[in-house]
Amino acid sequence: MTKPKIAIYDFTDCEGCEVKLVSLRERLLLIEKKVDIINWRLGQEHFESGPYDITIIEGTPVTEYEIKLLKELRENSKILIALGACAALGGIPGIMPEKDRKVWYEKIYTAQYHPKGIDASPLSAHVSVDFSIHGCPVDEDEVVKAVEELLSGKAPTYCGYSVCFECKVAGNPCRIVESKPCMGPITQGGCKAVCISGGSPCYGCFGIRDQANIPALIKIFEKFADENEIKRYLTMFHNRTPQITEQVKKIDEYKK
Amino acid sequence: MISNEFIAKIEGHGSLKIDWKNNKVKLNIHEGERLFEGILVGRTAEESHWITPRICGVCPIAHNLASLSAIEDAYGIEINETSKLLRKLMMAGQIIQSHVLHLFFLVLPDYIGIDRGTELAQKDPKSFAKVLLLKELGDDIARIVAGRNVHPTRTTVGGFHKIPTKKDLNILLEKLNETKDAAEWTAKFFSKLEYPELNVELELVAHKDGQIVSSNFGATVSIKDYKENIEEELRDYSTAKFGKYQGREMMVGSLARLAIGFKETPSVDGETLGVDKFIDKLNFQNPFHNNLAQAIEILQFYKQARKIIEKLLQMEMDAKIPTSETPSVEERSGKTLGVEYKGIGAVEAPRGGLYHEIHLDSSGIITYANIITPTVQNLTSMEKSSQALLDQTTDKDQKEREKLLNMLIRAYDPCITCSVH
Repeated sequence: MTKPKIAIYDFTDCEGCEVKLVSLRERLLLIEKKVDIINWRLGQEHFESGPYDITIIEGTPVTEYEIKLLKELRENSKILIALGACAALGGIPGIMPEKDRKVWYEKIYTAQYHPKGIDASPLSAHVSVDFSIHGCPVDEDEVVKAVEELLSGKAPTYCGYSVCFECKVAGNPCRIVESKPCMGPITQGGCKAVCISGGSPCYGCFGIRDQANIPALIKIFEKFADENEIKRYLTMFHNRTPQITEQVKKIDEYKK
Repeated sequence: MISNEFIAKIEGHGSLKIDWKNNKVKLNIHEGERLFEGILVGRTAEESHWITPRICGVCPIAHNLASLSAIEDAYGIEINETSKLLRKLMMAGQIIQSHVLHLFFLVLPDYIGIDRGTELAQKDPKSFAKVLLLKELGDDIARIVAGRNVHPTRTTVGGFHKIPTKKDLNILLEKLNETKDAAEWTAKFFSKLEYPELNVELELVAHKDGQIVSSNFGATVSIKDYKENIEEELRDYSTAKFGKYQGREMMVGSLARLAIGFKETPSVDGETLGVDKFIDKLNFQNPFHNNLAQAIEILQFYKQARKIIEKLLQMEMDAKIPTSETPSVEERSGKTLGVEYKGIGAVEAPRGGLYHEIHLDSSGIITYANIITPTVQNLTSMEKSSQALLDQTTDKDQKEREKLLNMLIRAYDPCITCSVH
């Protein structure tokens, strides 16, 4: 049986999800035996220009070059996977609105600077994505699960519960009961509630669950948080998620 | 479009533009701008150390701690002894994680004739087992102290949301016992490698006792004056700025730390850690030796981690977070109108001095941020050393020189994602 040909790409981002791939250690070796990685700039010089059976992309396509490359990779890949919050959601880079970029280029560089970046959006803003391995960063077990499902010829699936389920299993007190905003109830599980277990908030980096009732959660937040705080929670990773930005717009309109 | 035009096995996207006819080289940086200094504005004090680790997944702990100390500096918060030790331990874990990843997966293949780092598993399974042990050690320290191996979850302004239990620390100590041979082997192994010859007048810059110190010409200055002394220039071929120290090309990171005074940097209680015999082998005018310096640091920080854990196990750990005392109006006067609090946080990150400056308004919202990363400071000297390499290898053929240039860039361990941010 020929091994599936894999390409791994990183667009503009922190490369932390690729660091997670290396952190798989022995499990990475097992995966490597079953696939043929023919293009991975961060890991090797060996390069083949495709076509690829599976292309895994980390990061946001920010520059014109990356956006063009993404479209070409889509055409040359049977399966295209988003790795991590930047690729899947726009993530932290997506906090910067396109319309504000010019001002910040001037402040951070100078008015004379010729920027390369256009906008930080998820892969899905430009091409169709077959599956997203969520997280900022991704979780090792989730990566292995998705890869195993792909290699066995199955469409990868999400686990059927929200972060709340894993948070309860971890024995954490409920943040919402403590009057702290939490994106857990509307967020896809799989992270093992690692942030909340560490004492940090959940900003929903694992993606919005199917049939999540976002307005209801916002209504609960409004009992103890002001609109700015609510907006900061909603937009930490989801400033490019239409279901969320629609709600943020409503909050702004209500304010007027 | 699907091509391999960027330098492989470095973090982020860069390429060398070589003019073979005139023997000139430029380092082009192509990474997209994320504009982190803009992303931070409008966010809160407690969100800065959440957002900035996302600048770099290879050194997220460094960014996390730099932001925290900037905020704590702004609010005048003094963290307790337990937090200080735990943060030092996190940083030791971070340096082990980052150096192991860089040395074994990105650098070593050039020296032993493999391509992907994991090919070592077949070529030399015994050595690869040691590499995996060290990788696991770095990840475990980060996970147990910071909450996760990439992007911390347990740290907060003033200390920690949660501190490890003594049972957790004993598990780490056990892990350190298992990795002792691997840490020593790393320093030995890299001290026996044959590095390409190159002679560059390097100005090595590192922190020492709250000061920025240069190995040769530069004056010693306070970290608080970082902005006046580390100038950033724009280059029309780069999305990253190029940093200079007092007007000259500079190099930061492992080699610089060891040049400036290794005794102070890694020790607890001022004690040296018995790595002198390896330090003697360093040539501080050859940037390729930065990789040997990184290997030595793996051993140093391994030993430092052990000392910190032993100290924590002996003491009563204090999980309390000191609350900030809001400065009085008098104390605040004299500061820029409209900006209530200003803080500067600096750490020696795996790749060198990292600076975060954050200003907050009276309600704790960030109004200004400035970040200078280690790789920004290294870019000028990377270009200078590349030019020196071209000048000093005219007797070699183009293919070999090109390979050496790529190895040289890797020797600096550039983090281009950090440099653009």
